[in-house]
Amino acid sequence: MDFQLTDEQVELQRIAREVAERECPPSLVRAVVEEDADVDALGKTLVDLEWHGLTVPAEDGGSGATAVELVVVLEELGWAADPTPFLATTTQHLPLVRDCLQGAVRAQRLAAIAAGSPGAAVHSPGTIAARADGDGWVLDGSAPHVLDGDRADQLAIVATSDDGVGVFLAPGDKATVVREPSVDGSLHLTTVHLDGVRVPWERAATGPAVAAAVERAHEEAVTGLAAVMVGASQRILDLVLDHVRQRHQFGVPIGSFQAVKHMAVDLYTAIERARAVVHFAALTIAEDDDRRRLAASIAKAAAGDAQRIAAQHGIQLFGGLGYTWENDLQLYLRRAKAGEMLLGTAHEHRLAASRLVLSDLTTTEAAR
Amino acid sequence: MKLAFDERTEAFRREFDAWLDANAPAPEETTERPRSTAHIPEWARRWQRKMFDAGWLVPGYPPAFGGRDASLLEQFVHREELARRGIYASFNPQGLSIIVPSILGFGTEEQKERWARPILRAEITAALGMSEPDAGSDLAGLRTSAVLDGDRFIVNGQKVWTSGAHDADVILTFVRTDPDAPKHKGISVLLIPTDTPGVTRRPFGSIQGKVDCDFNEVFFDDAVVPAENLLGALHEGWRVATGSLGHERAMLWLEYSERLQELVDRGGQVLLDHGLGDDAHALDWFGRLVTDSHALRLLGYRTLAKTEKGLVPTEQSILKLLGSEAIQRSTLDVLEVLGPDGLDPTVRSAPAEPLNLDVWTEGWFDLYLRTFSMTIAGGTSQIQRNIVAEHVLGLPR
Repeated sequence: MDFQLTDEQVELQRIAREVAERECPPSLVRAVVEEDADVDALGKTLVDLEWHGLTVPAEDGGSGATAVELVVVLEELGWAADPTPFLATTTQHLPLVRDCLQGAVRAQRLAAIAAGSPGAAVHSPGTIAARADGDGWVLDGSAPHVLDGDRADQLAIVATSDDGVGVFLAPGDKATVVREPSVDGSLHLTTVHLDGVRVPWERAATGPAVAAAVERAHEEAVTGLAAVMVGASQRILDLVLDHVRQRHQFGVPIGSFQAVKHMAVDLYTAIERARAVVHFAALTIAEDDDRRRLAASIAKAAAGDAQRIAAQHGIQLFGGLGYTWENDLQLYLRRAKAGEMLLGTAHEHRLAASRLVLSDLTTTEAAR
Repeated sequence: MKLAFDERTEAFRREFDAWLDANAPAPEETTERPRSTAHIPEWARRWQRKMFDAGWLVPGYPPAFGGRDASLLEQFVHREELARRGIYASFNPQGLSIIVPSILGFGTEEQKERWARPILRAEITAALGMSEPDAGSDLAGLRTSAVLDGDRFIVNGQKVWTSGAHDADVILTFVRTDPDAPKHKGISVLLIPTDTPGVTRRPFGSIQGKVDCDFNEVFFDDAVVPAENLLGALHEGWRVATGSLGHERAMLWLEYSERLQELVDRGGQVLLDHGLGDDAHALDWFGRLVTDSHALRLLGYRTLAKTEKGLVPTEQSILKLLGSEAIQRSTLDVLEVLGPDGLDPTVRSAPAEPLNLDVWTEGWFDLYLRTFSMTIAGGTSQIQRNIVAEHVLGLPR
């Protein structure tokens, strides 16, 4: 396996870090949290860079890059606790549109996404029902914890119909969207209510193939969120390293104490471990490898492990200085923790990964 | 970034695979087991020589030394195939992977012919004399002295943990030749034949059992060693030490990675056999093992790719840490599933396999104990953390 970013990918990473640092400083994230400052300038920068269309095929107006390029960008945006709807649009909404919908609706929506139109995914087949009625579908139901439901031009809704699980594209303003309180104040979590929302036939897709595509889309969402968590954990490590190099006690930098060093190394190792499996998960998506489902779960599990140590060691190593609102540490810690709570915790993904591997073992054993 | 290696490398892998299929010894030939890391049964000597003659023993070496000038990636897939099949290229692993590269890297042409080639051809075996009672993690504090007296050195002192010394023909011995120099500066390396008068070897049992004798104490009492047995320049032994261990560490992760994969397979089977396929606790630790197994291999592939590009993969030092600790934790996780069966040393962790003198023929408790060789030997986990903190994260000493 050639497990190394290409020169182009390294360059993209460098640009993404530069943009994250310059356009999304802690002061912006803090202003969003404290006074709901607008994020339009940052959003426009991301549009100008054409990153929304990274995984939109070139023939549909995107740049036809792969999931690897996208996670490279997402990690840097996670590092900066990006307050725009980029994550929801590119990793949750976009794959559903690209891989489930058809024809002109799909083409137009993909072009719009590539041009920066925000979208969200309402993935709740258990609580949202679609029934056929006249010239289309009618959707009813509610879904909690929808990322950026309040900022989406369009919602890609995964609901249950008579024809099985389907994907339905509806304008955001047709839904009633309520912002949920969240410890991560720059992340828009919402509850989406659909009350007789009509979706024309051509804006929907149902059937067994769609159900499979929905699962695959979910793997992109999980991998994308894991990348954000790796970035946020990396930011915490960066802040901690700066702190323990500069902070002196007993006449020496506290970073010279082995107890401190070993905690920092454990965090570093956890991040490297997570980054490796996140890149692998992206690669399995890019090459449509059989292991993509397993890879997405271990990516989320490892990112979960990293954020756990990041939060724990991050606050502890900053001491009292980390226990303040003023310290930027808390901004990234909240993003990392939010990532853990969404789309399945590390524990849940470890269980999912185990089941996949054990079922393979059983199959191999049976074949003998 | 790609999931596959390039076609040339994969072709190399297929060629080696086909050779192994045709040439690996049959199980019935391989019944005699080695008693230490420097004892090679007769059949294994023949096997190692066969690999040497075919240029498959160390493919990165030139043909004269058992290789075929293979590229780094080719060397890697060679190791990967051996590990995947559980095949040991040599039952004198320190000879093949530490002592020979040290001699080829620092030795004279005469030394290469006299020592390296016979070790490669399994005509003799070698041990590594580094640690001393008071020089473990602080290796540079070693005190065994060698005084140059005309064309010979007079050696006095003691080594310990010298694996396989009682079965070895020669010990690559780190000695202090300049007691007045700063501690890293006064070290030299001597090739000391074990039949030299004044050399006494005393094997002792490991925690595995009184009869599990690989470790030795080695005493030198006025042992006379010809000056021509000096490896590298006088007082420049520290360079050999860092070179040798660096070589050992570069691909160590691959063994750890294979061990983790085996733990996934064997541990998963134990878990299923005990009806824990739906047990949340079991699935949780097993999921961590699956994640560690993937992560270690991927990080290893990344350092490989960097090395191949001529970059220095500084983060390589986390591989030993991550791998050894994951193996230790997971081995214990499997052991705990067994309950009272885990106390019975005759309940094997896996069937014995030919060519593989591996730990899998042991019980899970012994296997767990053996994992401490990974978190202690070759730089303890604490030392590894210090190294990563200072050299990778740039924290002050």
